[in-house]
Amino acid sequence: MRFKASYNLWLIAPAALMVAVFFLYPLYFSLYSAITLDNGSFTLTHLEKAFELYSNDILFTIMLVCVSVFILAILSITIAATIALSPFKRITSLLGFLYRLPLFIPFIVTAQMMRTFLAKNGLMNNAFVEAGLLTPMETISLLGWSGIIITFVWKQMAFSTLLISGAMAALDESQIRAARNLGASKIRILFEVMLPQITPTLGVAMVLSTVTMMSVLSVPLMIGTGSPTMMSADMAFRVNSYGDYHVANALGLVSYLICAGLAWFYLRQSLKDKGAVA
Amino acid sequence: MTRLHIENLQAKYGEKLILNNINLSVEEGEMIALLGPSGCGKTTLLNALCGFVPISQGDIFSGDRVITHLPAEKRNITMVFQSYALWPHMTVAENIGYGLKVRKVKRAEIQSRVNELLRIVKLDNLQDEKVTALSGGQRQRVALARALAIRPDVLVLDEPLSNLDAKVRLNVRHEIKALQKQLGFTSLIVTHDQEEALVMADKIAVLHKGEIVQVGTPEEIYNKPNSPFVADFMGAENRIEWPTEKDGFSDSSHKITLHQSSNNEPSNQPKQVYFRSENVILSTRQTNSKIQKEEGLILTGHIEQSAFFGSNYRISVRCGMHIIQVDHTSDLPMNTPVSLQVPNHALYIYDNIVENKVHQKSTVV
Ligand SMILES: Nc1ncnc2c1ncn2[C@@H]1O[C@H](COP(=O)(O)OP(=O)(O)O)[C@@H](O)[C@H]1O
Ligand SMILES: [Mg+2]
Repeated sequence: MRFKASYNLWLIAPAALMVAVFFLYPLYFSLYSAITLDNGSFTLTHLEKAFELYSNDILFTIMLVCVSVFILAILSITIAATIALSPFKRITSLLGFLYRLPLFIPFIVTAQMMRTFLAKNGLMNNAFVEAGLLTPMETISLLGWSGIIITFVWKQMAFSTLLISGAMAALDESQIRAARNLGASKIRILFEVMLPQITPTLGVAMVLSTVTMMSVLSVPLMIGTGSPTMMSADMAFRVNSYGDYHVANALGLVSYLICAGLAWFYLRQSLKDKGAVA
Repeated sequence: MTRLHIENLQAKYGEKLILNNINLSVEEGEMIALLGPSGCGKTTLLNALCGFVPISQGDIFSGDRVITHLPAEKRNITMVFQSYALWPHMTVAENIGYGLKVRKVKRAEIQSRVNELLRIVKLDNLQDEKVTALSGGQRQRVALARALAIRPDVLVLDEPLSNLDAKVRLNVRHEIKALQKQLGFTSLIVTHDQEEALVMADKIAVLHKGEIVQVGTPEEIYNKPNSPFVADFMGAENRIEWPTEKDGFSDSSHKITLHQSSNNEPSNQPKQVYFRSENVILSTRQTNSKIQKEEGLILTGHIEQSAFFGSNYRISVRCGMHIIQVDHTSDLPMNTPVSLQVPNHALYIYDNIVENKVHQKSTVV
């Protein structure tokens, strides 16, 4: 028995070591650096400084992410539901192919693409002008907060639609038939039969998307207008311009706490749902 | 009054023809069983009725309404699904009341109808349970109550008993039948179990490879199967091809004769003979007196195997190339020489033409 236990430990040792060295240690160190002085004593000054300098940006980030996630949820559910419930198989299979494309385009390419598309003299406005819908004077640049939201949603939609679509496809087809059979419309089926059963997946998709948005640097740098900007850009700025790892890590701690708070909320919610079932 | 009428219905999956030339009428308050082996298209037929599978030809009438191309949600034909298809995130009461909620019935009214149904299917006090907490038999009854709640024109049940264990199955079978008598709903029930069909249905339609091959009362189907397929499916599993020259009946201990007093057909015309194991009278050579008249089918052979079936023994008798299954009250040792007699009325005889082209009944008594 004893031999067996130690033997099993050896089996997981390489993996555990990898996690510890490359994941736990850096994480621990960045959190540690956020709340200590160079001599190792505990301090809150970095956090205070981070809030003092960047509280606007923190709020801006939270707002942007919330709005993006909200739009993202609505669009992904709409696409996934169209694919699941539409009787037109040809069109939905085309849609099923199209929505996946952004999965294979990196964030930085997306940002670059959106930059040329959304700018004041970008592709979109040029097209409007060509079509005679706008004069060059009337064009507005969508770079800035709206551009960031558009880019986030555009890029994350593939991922979250993929998850939600998969969850919908995994539902028992006869459950949907049973609802139609009793006279339910497609909308009713979506809201009363499908969505309640895929909320866990929806939660996962949104939490993971939030974490991704919080961590992307290229989008605020390339599409944002500078001030206010997102926390990821501030962190890069702190490190690159001042070599100030402490405040950068303090900002990291804040964004980590935001994500952790969200994850906690999500876990609590899904546990509650499970509790109700049992 | 005819509640449901199906005319020349044809359905396909892609290019694959699944149902062809289906004609069936269900009278008000009648229960018809669709009986057929797995894969013959029973579920597809129910799906076509409910509007889940498009119909490529033919018409469906519900009362005087043509519902052939109506969307599923407008047909008022409800289905009890083979897997029950209950919604796991809803309580028992929410499941049952859903159809009424969709129809915008007032909440108090839904409540009272749900309670009424809970009483009918004997699930009182379970209204607030999650359906995931119920047993198979209870889920089945929730599914039934859910389908009945909106008072459908026709109720269709897809193998409602196939997911239940044997004992519960007998109970539920009984309950569904009793309920149908009590409430008088019109229904189509799908099954691959001939006993289920015989016990529950007012009429049986036998389905074979997507076509209805015989419709009739349980007695008609059981006693006068119109084709080798129906005979075989209804339990007449012993089969002998006539003539039998090549079947190894040459030596003295294995003989076969067929006496048909009622007519004198030339006995060399190719025929297939089917009969049930329960209709075979077995006698050992010593008690040969049992065979009173030289009538019907008479075979001699020896015992090859014997299996205990509870109420009787199922004995396999080798007669030439054939193994004949016989029900007998007592066990018999291997290799006992025996003679078998099947009375004329228990023989189903068909002209031996290529199956599935024309099912023509020939001389049964
Ligand atoms: N969705 C489908 N697509 C293609 N073929 C199908 C589909 N569902 C069933 N079939 C085919 O239709 C035939 C009848 O199936 P089904 O109606 O389910 O039989 P049963 O219910 O009598 O067992 C089978 O041969 C099956 O392979
Ligand atoms: Mg089936």
